[in-house]
Amino acid sequence: MAVALGSVLALTATACGDDGSGGGGDKGAEGSGKGEIVFWDNNGGVRTDIWKEIIADFEKANPDIKVQYVPIAATEVQSKYDTAIQGGGLPDVGGVGAAMLAGIAAQDALEPVEDRLAKSSLNGKLNEDMVTSVKVAGGSDEHMYSIPTSANNGVLYYRTDLFKKAGLEEPTSWDAFYEAAEKLTNSGKNEFGYTIRGGAGSIAQALDAMYGQSGITEFWDGDRTTLNDPKNVEALEKYAALYKKVTPAADLNNDFTKMVAQWDSGTIGMLNHNLGSYQDHVKALGVEKFRGIPQPVGPSGKRVQVSNPVDGLGLFKSSKNKDAAWKFIEFAASHESNSKWNESAGAIPSNTEAAKDAWINEAEPTKLAAAALNDGSTSIVQLPYYLPDWNTISKADNEPNFQKVLLGKMSAKDFLDTVAEQLNEAQAEWNEQKKS
Amino acid sequence: MSIKEAAPAVPTVRTSPPPPRPTKGHRAWDEVPRWQIYLPLGIYLLFTLIPFYWILLFALRPAGSTSLVPWPMTFDHFDKVWNERSFGTYFQNSVLVGLATLVMTTVVALAGGYALARFDFKVKRAFMLALLCSQFVPGALLLVPLFEIFAELQMINSLGSVVLAETVFQLPLSMILISNFIKNVPYSLEEAAWVDGCGRLRAFRVVVLPLLRPGLIAVGSFAFVHSWNHFLFALMFLNNQEKQTVPVGLNTLMSADSVDLGALAAGGIIAAVPVVIVFAFIQKWLITGFSAGAVKG
Repeated sequence: MAVALGSVLALTATACGDDGSGGGGDKGAEGSGKGEIVFWDNNGGVRTDIWKEIIADFEKANPDIKVQYVPIAATEVQSKYDTAIQGGGLPDVGGVGAAMLAGIAAQDALEPVEDRLAKSSLNGKLNEDMVTSVKVAGGSDEHMYSIPTSANNGVLYYRTDLFKKAGLEEPTSWDAFYEAAEKLTNSGKNEFGYTIRGGAGSIAQALDAMYGQSGITEFWDGDRTTLNDPKNVEALEKYAALYKKVTPAADLNNDFTKMVAQWDSGTIGMLNHNLGSYQDHVKALGVEKFRGIPQPVGPSGKRVQVSNPVDGLGLFKSSKNKDAAWKFIEFAASHESNSKWNESAGAIPSNTEAAKDAWINEAEPTKLAAAALNDGSTSIVQLPYYLPDWNTISKADNEPNFQKVLLGKMSAKDFLDTVAEQLNEAQAEWNEQKKS
Repeated sequence: MSIKEAAPAVPTVRTSPPPPRPTKGHRAWDEVPRWQIYLPLGIYLLFTLIPFYWILLFALRPAGSTSLVPWPMTFDHFDKVWNERSFGTYFQNSVLVGLATLVMTTVVALAGGYALARFDFKVKRAFMLALLCSQFVPGALLLVPLFEIFAELQMINSLGSVVLAETVFQLPLSMILISNFIKNVPYSLEEAAWVDGCGRLRAFRVVVLPLLRPGLIAVGSFAFVHSWNHFLFALMFLNNQEKQTVPVGLNTLMSADSVDLGALAAGGIIAAVPVVIVFAFIQKWLITGFSAGAVKG
């Protein structure tokens, strides 16, 4: 028995690399600029190959530094960071999207990077809007807690073959969108005009459609949100009424996985998602059967969209080798690496030199999205990612209520009033915290 | 000494329950038309098997195909997850964690279960209650304390941390099951062995242990399957990609905005096969083990 137990422990208790030190508040050290650093990828899996390629390039250019790559699924990364902040074991560098930046920064886990950026070769080469976005998302007026690497954007994907067959024009306006959704629906034949997101992530998508139609361009009017403005209520009522009328009934539980899979394999005219699923559509449908265009324009002729979280790399305060960690961040956000990564992800590069590379023009939705964001045709409603409660309010607390709206068991007004009330409270608390 | 041996259990001879006799208004088994049995079973089977067929379909048909049959068949998705997505390594780690949890849970539950079955001690009832109550504590609640303990023990990023955590969470139920199983073994058998010159340990090994086979298989397989499927501890305690397990690997096949369904389905099959094989081999003992362990308290 002793032998068996001994064998078991010998087999499992392998060399312990990480001692689990380094939680929130740990001051860390600059280090020698050599040795090993740990990098947590906040969207591991699909992006693993490209990160490994970038890491190999980095290690070739910096033979004294070794990067340990840890892929973490996007759905679990928040809890992994939270546990490590409380219990120790934070990485040196980690992918931190704008949506989680404020929460992590508030726990004193991230190193401000504005001084390092000012002295870096990256200075002046990062997209200013993205830099502003991560500054705001970090929740501090003084500090910047991540270096932006890419931006995503909402896209309206539509089936060109179905539109051509039905004699429909491209859905560039919300009116054209609603008309097409209706004309392409023949529920008896399992053909639908649109697939709506009713499950996880439903609220961000509904807000995009709502502000897009109402034309309201600011999320806050003083200390009160514009979320439950009568124009938004009207827009949401119209949008939610699409459910079951022009969409499959199963959409009630659609997260993005089901929604994308359903669109790729069924006969559905349109889908709202972001640039990230473009390659999935190419694999499933081929480039000739669909297009991805920017969101439709509203009645004023102006396109209004809600902001998508900007992704970035954070330097963790507890790192014992900040010098080497910063070198890796600089390298990953440099022209060549940033271009490679964003080409693979189909996202918009933060590095302004990378944004001029030829591949941008070959990936149509990315090209159109980048153009829409840069040519002044689009107003962006900045969502309050800086509120520590934003994720809870916009997801767990209210997604079930949005399902009630789709089912007609709750009015769009009641839903928006409820969410608005929570956001106003969260904003007031946030303002209080900032004052103190 | 406050520990004393428990009163011997009344010897029982377990036999299969007799077939139910037809009562008034009830037909005998052989009088029921076969379709009344097979039709509901068939419908139930369809509900169960269609999702499996769907996984097979996505795993075996080429990317982009919308065919309802996996033809032309491709193993590209399996090749991708096994070689490119490191599922070979994850699989090896999961097997190691599963087997280690199985061995540790079974050995410790056997010792603890014997004590609970054969000895009376002052706090026995309170201890049993504590064991039961520990089942109500979700693992997620203990994540940070466990993380801190393993960090102190320098065990973060070691498979040993996952094995220990899994074993600790498996033990209460396993110990209760084993103790009930041991209670079913007549005490007089052990006494007879002592009379013949055996010590307690030898009597346990040569007389009791062979009779516990169904219980041990039930507890061991339950521990293996649970640790095979468990996601949270591996996600939190293991950082190095070379040490991660199959459920964590499966999770990374879904990114924030893109999913390779073919790879996900292939990964799902790789994750499910060992569990299916384990259950196929042990189902006979498993049912006997759980029912025997569950009846007596």
